[in-house]
Amino acid sequence: MSHPHHRIPAPQTRIARALARALLPAEERARAARLRFHDAGHGYDTFGLHPDWVAAGLGLFHFLYEHYFRVESQGHEHLPSEGPAILVANHSGTLPFDAVMLYLDVERHTEPPRVPRPIGDRFIPLLPFASTILARVGATPGTRENLRHLLESGEMVLIFPEGTPAVGKPFSQRYRLQEWRVGHAETAIAHGVPIIPAAVIGAEEQWPQIARLPIALFGAPYLPLPLTPFPLPVRYHLRYGAPIRFDLPPEAATRPDVVRDAAAQVKAAVEALIAEGLRERKGIFQ
Amino acid sequence: MNGVLLTGATTPFGRALAQALVDDEGFGPILAAGIEEGAPGLPTHPRLIYRRVDLTRSRDIQGLLGGPARELGIEAVIHGAWHRKAIDAGPRIRRLNVESTRELLRLAEEHPTIRHFVLRSYADIYRIDSDEAVLLGEEHPLRLSAEMPQILRDRLEADVTACMRMGMSRLSISVLRFAEIVAPGVGSQLFDYLSSRVCFRPLGFDPMLCLLSVGDAVRATMAALRARASGIFNIPGKDILPLSRAVALARRACVPVPGPLLSPLYGLRARAMHTDFRYDMNHFRFHLSGVVDGRRAAEVLGFAPEIALDWQAISEQATVPRP
Repeated sequence: MSHPHHRIPAPQTRIARALARALLPAEERARAARLRFHDAGHGYDTFGLHPDWVAAGLGLFHFLYEHYFRVESQGHEHLPSEGPAILVANHSGTLPFDAVMLYLDVERHTEPPRVPRPIGDRFIPLLPFASTILARVGATPGTRENLRHLLESGEMVLIFPEGTPAVGKPFSQRYRLQEWRVGHAETAIAHGVPIIPAAVIGAEEQWPQIARLPIALFGAPYLPLPLTPFPLPVRYHLRYGAPIRFDLPPEAATRPDVVRDAAAQVKAAVEALIAEGLRERKGIFQ
Repeated sequence: MNGVLLTGATTPFGRALAQALVDDEGFGPILAAGIEEGAPGLPTHPRLIYRRVDLTRSRDIQGLLGGPARELGIEAVIHGAWHRKAIDAGPRIRRLNVESTRELLRLAEEHPTIRHFVLRSYADIYRIDSDEAVLLGEEHPLRLSAEMPQILRDRLEADVTACMRMGMSRLSISVLRFAEIVAPGVGSQLFDYLSSRVCFRPLGFDPMLCLLSVGDAVRATMAALRARASGIFNIPGKDILPLSRAVALARRACVPVPGPLLSPLYGLRARAMHTDFRYDMNHFRFHLSGVVDGRRAAEVLGFAPEIALDWQAISEQATVPRP
């Protein structure tokens, strides 16, 4: 590691730094510089996260967060600033802007700053460019081993139990939780980590779809055909609930009934947060 | 510990291991075996005895274990003899890679003094797939496919042969699945890949790799010898980095090209320049991340990687740059 060539940033890293400098205000940049990550030796973590790319990602979506979706959030006190945790939220939006807004919001409301590690579908690593960019900002394919490693490293992971199908849910199904997978609950029990339920209000109306084209490129289930060329400037309201701790031994993660009940408990918490958020907001764009 | 038998002693890894064994006074006689005449590159030391052995010949293996290994009271076998060129194939290579492992294991089980068998294996027998974890643990699915090149089939078969004996044999068997050692003369695909002035990689993909130094491979093997633990152990390297970064550190130009062009490009390169890099062997890991998880080796063997690759040396050693 003593060779000077190690210190020369790769061209991609230089691009990421330039993006962060150009798009992220100075104080946000200083904040991003304090992000902690587990350097595996060459400035990247085991899954490919690179802090300069995280800063670039924060910069790229800064405008959307601040000015387009005008994100407002409540319940930050429930976000742990350190230690393993699983952030669980509802999912929607044709393209997963909800994940991006949660990512930025957690970074802004934790001290010291941290980013949640979005757990993606397994077709994502097959997508050219997107796979690399998502890995650099911390997204990881959702397998047990990957989750184990992240949680043992003290990371906060972001899971959408509805999965990819929910991203394309029909407008009529907005704010109705789709099939609620149970992996998040199983993982929480197995590793003894808390789940922080979260509700994303706004994303479910941001980009209504008119059709799903049966084109499965790179493993993606379909190609969405949205009503408008861009997402609507809805206002995002994010709500975090109190951490849910399952006081169960790790072996309980192998019992389907226990896991199902735990997942149902999380689902109910997310539904309650959604209901509360919908009740309190004044309109889709406000 | 009493004596150690080391096969593949004249390879760069074998030589470095022989030196480490010589340097450690805790070991008895070291019986080094290789195909070459005259112990090239091996340290000269009263405890080190070299024997020329052709491991593709069963009779030679019997002679080695029944002769000097018995006389020297060998207690542990480190089997590290593998064919190193990926483009080669044929029954003789299989005899060296697979049959010699089987024969050594059989004879070691019947040997009066041998108690421990260490197989140097490869982490490239793990399947790298978008459905699988980025971290390659010991329980990770293996790469079983009819289209696999012989070198991978042989590695897998030899590994499984040793694993099958665990628990059934009186020997303590350690299978060390090394991350790729990047060095000349060790059969490193990546080293051969980096020997070109321009390295092509799939456009839009830049997966994470885990690379091992010879020094850490030696440390892991010594740790396995001392621990005498039976089991499979992944041996990760200190260098965990994206492919593009490895190319940059080796001071080569990294040119992303559409994935489907890589196979014909590297096929042409292999035919024209007699290079060893096979894109079909590396296709998956050039698209998807696969990082060897060394948790078990840390817990049981007390091994954690410490020695990073010397990229300066790699960039200089990577043969004469070719177009």
